[in-house]
Amino acid sequence: MGRYVIRRLLQFIPTVLGTMFLLHYMTSLAIQFSGNPVRALFGDRTPSPALLAAVTERLGYADPCLDQKGNPCFGLFVDRVQNIFFHFDFGINMRQQEVTEMVADRLPFTLKLLVIAIIFEAVVGIAAGVWAGLRGGSFADNLVKISTVFVISVPIFVLGVLVREFVGVKFGNILRDQEWIPDVVASGFFSPGFKPDYPTASLLIPGMVLGAVALATTARLTRTSIMENIRADFVRTARAKGLANKRVIGVHTLRNSLIPVITYLGVDIGSAMAGAVVTETIFNVPGIGRMVTEAARTGEAAVVIGVVTMLVLVILIVNLLVDLLYAVLDPRIRYE
Amino acid sequence: MRGKFLKVAVAATATAMLATACGGGSDDSDDAGGQSGGELRVYASEPAFLLPSNGNDEPSIYVIRQLYRGLVKYNAETGEAENDLAESITSDDKKLWTIKLKDGYTFDNGEPVDAESFIRSWNYAAYGPNAQNNGYFMKRIAGIKDVTAEDPDGDGPKTAPEPKAKTLSGLKKVDDLTFTVELSSPFTGFPTTIGYSGFFPMAQACVDDADTCNETPIGNGPYKIEGAWERGVQINLTRSDSWNGEPGKPDKINYRIFADVGSGYSAFQAGELDVMYTLPPERFKDAKASYGDRLFEQPGDSFNYVGMPLYNENFKDKRVRQAFSLAIDRQSIVDAVFDGRYSPATGFIAPTFQGAREGVCTYCKKDVEKAKALLAEAGGWKGGKLVLWANAGAGHDAWLQAVGDQIKAALGIDYELKVNLQFPEYLETADNRKFTGPFRLGWGPDYPFLETYLTPVYGTGSDSNNSTFSNPEFDSLMKQGDSAETIDEAITFYQKGEDILAEELPVIPMFWRKEAALYSENVDNFVWNQVSGADYGATSLK
Repeated sequence: MGRYVIRRLLQFIPTVLGTMFLLHYMTSLAIQFSGNPVRALFGDRTPSPALLAAVTERLGYADPCLDQKGNPCFGLFVDRVQNIFFHFDFGINMRQQEVTEMVADRLPFTLKLLVIAIIFEAVVGIAAGVWAGLRGGSFADNLVKISTVFVISVPIFVLGVLVREFVGVKFGNILRDQEWIPDVVASGFFSPGFKPDYPTASLLIPGMVLGAVALATTARLTRTSIMENIRADFVRTARAKGLANKRVIGVHTLRNSLIPVITYLGVDIGSAMAGAVVTETIFNVPGIGRMVTEAARTGEAAVVIGVVTMLVLVILIVNLLVDLLYAVLDPRIRYE
Repeated sequence: MRGKFLKVAVAATATAMLATACGGGSDDSDDAGGQSGGELRVYASEPAFLLPSNGNDEPSIYVIRQLYRGLVKYNAETGEAENDLAESITSDDKKLWTIKLKDGYTFDNGEPVDAESFIRSWNYAAYGPNAQNNGYFMKRIAGIKDVTAEDPDGDGPKTAPEPKAKTLSGLKKVDDLTFTVELSSPFTGFPTTIGYSGFFPMAQACVDDADTCNETPIGNGPYKIEGAWERGVQINLTRSDSWNGEPGKPDKINYRIFADVGSGYSAFQAGELDVMYTLPPERFKDAKASYGDRLFEQPGDSFNYVGMPLYNENFKDKRVRQAFSLAIDRQSIVDAVFDGRYSPATGFIAPTFQGAREGVCTYCKKDVEKAKALLAEAGGWKGGKLVLWANAGAGHDAWLQAVGDQIKAALGIDYELKVNLQFPEYLETADNRKFTGPFRLGWGPDYPFLETYLTPVYGTGSDSNNSTFSNPEFDSLMKQGDSAETIDEAITFYQKGEDILAEELPVIPMFWRKEAALYSENVDNFVWNQVSGADYGATSLK
């Protein structure tokens, strides 16, 4: 087990470096082909060359390789990697704010959002899957099947905007007109976006939207898996032993059925992060996703590289944890 | 029916209540709004900087203007400059200005607002190595060349040397409340320029630790920051006790930061905001229908034009430029592309500015016959396919295409659009004079004085003169205007300059943007400043 973990951790190094180089190369190319982003700060007003040079230097876009189209800027890359790994310096953005500081400010919001999304999709998804799986072909089964197809087929940005318009604004406004509904519900939960006055309540709907797509897949996976296992030999044996139905379903069937589901939920953290980029912008959640969107829009290399590198690390670690979880769920799996 | 619907709603919210009970909100209600000044909640996007010397973008300035105050302020209705912290601003030769300050103003940390605080702030902005965005605005003050240093090899491997001087030679302290400003050349309009937020004073503590001051500003205005700048979330301001001038109307101003104007509009619809100074274009009609009388519309001052690359042989004959301008029907483009949210330009100076005249540009209305005649007189078009330039991704393609279509229909010149350059590269192309055909650009005023639309854009050798227009008579009129005795006298010279532009057409005026703002039912009196937009400190709540 220990060896396995170490081997996996060593594999992180080329993965992270490779990702960083790709990001570095892409952002450098973007600057080489679309010009010095600092110039755009001044817009119509042409700054004096001295001022432009001073600001460019200060923001770290002064390396001459950024003027040569196609140059991979190896020197800049080495500097960057050194700064990141030896000084924990991810650079600054155009507003002269440190990327590490920006991430620290915004990470809590994204984590909260992800936790809400994962809990929502796990609890509701698994419940719906079990409900449908145990009653194959019934009304419940069809209901879950149809509604999940529905959810999966709607892209998250459409879902997000619709929910914001109809749940947050229209329905929320009806509630806000009612005196007797507590504020935390009317203005917090049913807010069209994140609201600093209700930092948790107003994140619930965005979290649910983020979790919705994965919820559908979770429900489907659980359903299929339960249907397979319920007919398995060990379940029949358990029933034959005279165990209570609760125990047969809860321990014997569900535990085995959850292996693919857990894998999926683990992998899904990665795509949930990607989904957060969309959801956070729609619901104005001041998290990492919104930050990346803004940075990509203005072409801020340091932010994009820094944050995406961190995200890659998170995904790698989560995948490792998921692999280790297998052993817990299925005693037959051993890592050597 | 309604009753049943509500019961469902209650059932749905009950679960939500359970779920949120533990996480809870910090504030249970904001009933306080409406009483005794109240809290004004406004839409904002993330400011770049809260330091007067560095914030040159709209969201920053909206906050800085309430935290800080300068020598002059702008009259909300006329846009004229009036003394604010200045007791008097005088000059005999319009070159050496003496500024006397009112006594008794302090920063939030107790430091006095004195001559030193202005000199310090302007020097800080101008000093090259500080790399402050508003260094641009100090360019008229004598000695600017010495505090910035040119990089010897462009942005090559060598770094710029240390500038010769640390401070502007044009700024001199006379006594605690008096200082003099020497300009590089006379400028009558100088007092109107210094109401720009880049000229606001800074406390010594702020210059000593600019980063901290950027997060928790030490202002001298009617409001002070409450807590710190919560990045991406909000900025809270509260009335400052140290302010001696006319107090702001609301007790508190809450700037809610949005990344996307669409989500801001949803928050407004949900009653979370009181003022929204900008609107998502696609929601404009919806907003007008829903909020009619609470939608504030005002002609704006940002100028959109199609520049002519005078460095290109084909555009040197003014009759060609006139013909192009005559071929375009601006109103139909405004109606078709912008839902009527722009107004066609008939001159070079914003209609809201003192000294602006209607219909200065006689070539700015459609007249195909005349256009054809002028082009024929000039010997016809020899440039082959006309290339129309705009930067990518900013929605300029649609109207530029309409311009191309109209020129093609009127004059039979085929065109193509070149709209694939990102903004930075596009601006660099402009700076390097590399456009091969008409290009779209804009110009926003730096200060509320008509000169801001003339010298910087058309003066010989001016930085932002992207068409490379050069006309000795125009330059001399600008000079005479700059050194005129009074503003009124100056205006006549500038107007003559504008007449030259209307004849020469170095750029084809297209339209002026209209500003729009929404305010909620909580707002009693919404105040829009001609120059600086929504004035939150002056807006009162019911």
